[in-house]
Amino acid sequence: MTMHAPLALDAAPDAPVATPEQSQAVLPSRRSLIRRLARDKAAALAATFLTMVVLAAIFAPIVAPYDPYFTDLSKAMQAPSAAHWFGTDTAGRDVLSRVIYGARNTLAIGLIGVIVGGVVGGFFGILAAYFRRLDGWIMRIVDIMLAFPAILLGLAVAAIAGAGLTAVIIAVVVATIPDVARVARGAAIGVMGQEFMEAGRAVGVSDAALIWRYLTLNCISTIFVFLTLRFGQIILIGSALSFLGLGAQPPTAELGMMASQGRDFLFISEHIAIIPSLMIFLIVLAANILGDAFRDVLDPRLQQ
Amino acid sequence: MGRQIVHRLLISLPALLGVLFLCFCLMQVVPADPAAIIAGPDAKADTIAAIRLELGLDRPILVQFAEYIWRVAHGDLGRSIISNKMVIEEIASTMGPTLELMIAGMLFAIPIGMSLGTIAAVKRGTWLDRSIMAIAVAGVSMPIFFIGLILIQYVGYKWGLLPFLGRAGPVWAGGLPNLILPALTLGSVLIGPIARLTRTSVLEVLGADYVRTARAKGLRERVVIVHHALRNALIPVVTLIGLQAAFLLGGAVVTETMFSWPGVGRLAVGAIISSDFPTAQGAIMILALAFLLINLLVDVMYVYLDPRVARQ
Repeated sequence: MTMHAPLALDAAPDAPVATPEQSQAVLPSRRSLIRRLARDKAAALAATFLTMVVLAAIFAPIVAPYDPYFTDLSKAMQAPSAAHWFGTDTAGRDVLSRVIYGARNTLAIGLIGVIVGGVVGGFFGILAAYFRRLDGWIMRIVDIMLAFPAILLGLAVAAIAGAGLTAVIIAVVVATIPDVARVARGAAIGVMGQEFMEAGRAVGVSDAALIWRYLTLNCISTIFVFLTLRFGQIILIGSALSFLGLGAQPPTAELGMMASQGRDFLFISEHIAIIPSLMIFLIVLAANILGDAFRDVLDPRLQQ
Repeated sequence: MGRQIVHRLLISLPALLGVLFLCFCLMQVVPADPAAIIAGPDAKADTIAAIRLELGLDRPILVQFAEYIWRVAHGDLGRSIISNKMVIEEIASTMGPTLELMIAGMLFAIPIGMSLGTIAAVKRGTWLDRSIMAIAVAGVSMPIFFIGLILIQYVGYKWGLLPFLGRAGPVWAGGLPNLILPALTLGSVLIGPIARLTRTSVLEVLGADYVRTARAKGLRERVVIVHHALRNALIPVVTLIGLQAAFLLGGAVVTETMFSWPGVGRLAVGAIISSDFPTAQGAIMILALAFLLINLLVDVMYVYLDPRVARQ
């Protein structure tokens, strides 16, 4: 990623953190955020590409030129042509249509992982920061969870529950929770040291309001940036599990699984495996570029 | 420093227990009755009951867990349902190849990643920097099987340069050609993160006072960078490499499966797909333990590399 010109937000780490009332003024408004992102050409391109993929995935039944599950063995393994832009697969199904439907499942895995993992992990991380008594317990559990890297979790869940999309989703959610919890806890501990927290407590604001309005809202941009950077990784893990045969099962269209099926016929017609793999790469690349850009704009401190 | 290491060991104990407990649970919650699986489909009810008794499946869970830890500590991971060999033997024969693959992958990735990162930092803001960082982002975004597919299809199959199926023995006994493509595949996922962090780290060090002093002394730029900057920039990079080594285990699972490499990852995937629960459980446990061990080693190495950590 190219370095970005220092922004107004590029303040020293010990710059005063906004109180909830001020945060509106310090966080860039939505319009200026979009303008800043648009100035970054790579980020703009990535955002455009992702939007197109997401729209195609949402409106798959309208956009897809063929039925992704319609098999026609007389047309098996055709190279890309005018009728089938991405060619056909081993069962004569249209690869473009399957890629569109496959992107739907692949994106869904990433989104569910980010949202569920983010909410649960964020909740426990902030709780750990606010109630110091819980801190030790929560972080110990987080340590244990971190002892299982995502792919291993996927293997374990698939061993218990059987291979399938559910196994992949459980694995990516459980793998996301401890990381988010750590990031959220770190951010929340920083906010806890601020004077407005003490002021809020002094005037009798309830725990729930303190946690939500004072603490969570001040940590949200950090968590958000972390999750955008995490989105691509989740997709990579999910598709790797599907590639291993532990995720989505045929005939479901899912990009990792399609690459895995195409692998068996790689030497005969390579496009069946290469096109879905390339698609995963482009989606993750776009997500990462966008995540980097978000980080630079919203939370420069998160930079390594 | 000794205290620091003991402290770190104590911290990893709960994680170790957690890993063991989860692996133990794997066996408890599998939908099928393990005794029925071992007895086979035509077994009579009293045969199954006898096996249950033999396995201790009728005793309280905590007692079973304690026994499980006892057995694991003695290397008894049960028998494979498929091959009827001891699981520990199956795992022992796969650990070497996995280790070999991971080391080869790192030997390939570390020099490339660190040189790219250093070049990018020294040439900060130039087109060279921008292209190296673009390559790094692309590398981080690449599904590992995509790289594997391309290498198999072109280097292996179309151009016929290197073998891509299985392992031909140890490196010193003619196994090197078979190792190259899997190692390139596995190592390629490491280059991006290493290059990125090396760049950040070198940039930080280049701004430090002692580097300015070194320059002011009139040292040549090469000496400044190699002897003064790079050494100090190395500390976070070493940590990252250690952490990545742990995640490399995940990549190894995919790589081994693609290249029919007889490692632990392939053993685990094969066992899960064929419902060989004892083998799957044992292989997953070994991978998790290896992950814990690598993290522990990284922490210890970190204390050794950066004495400031120990003093805190």
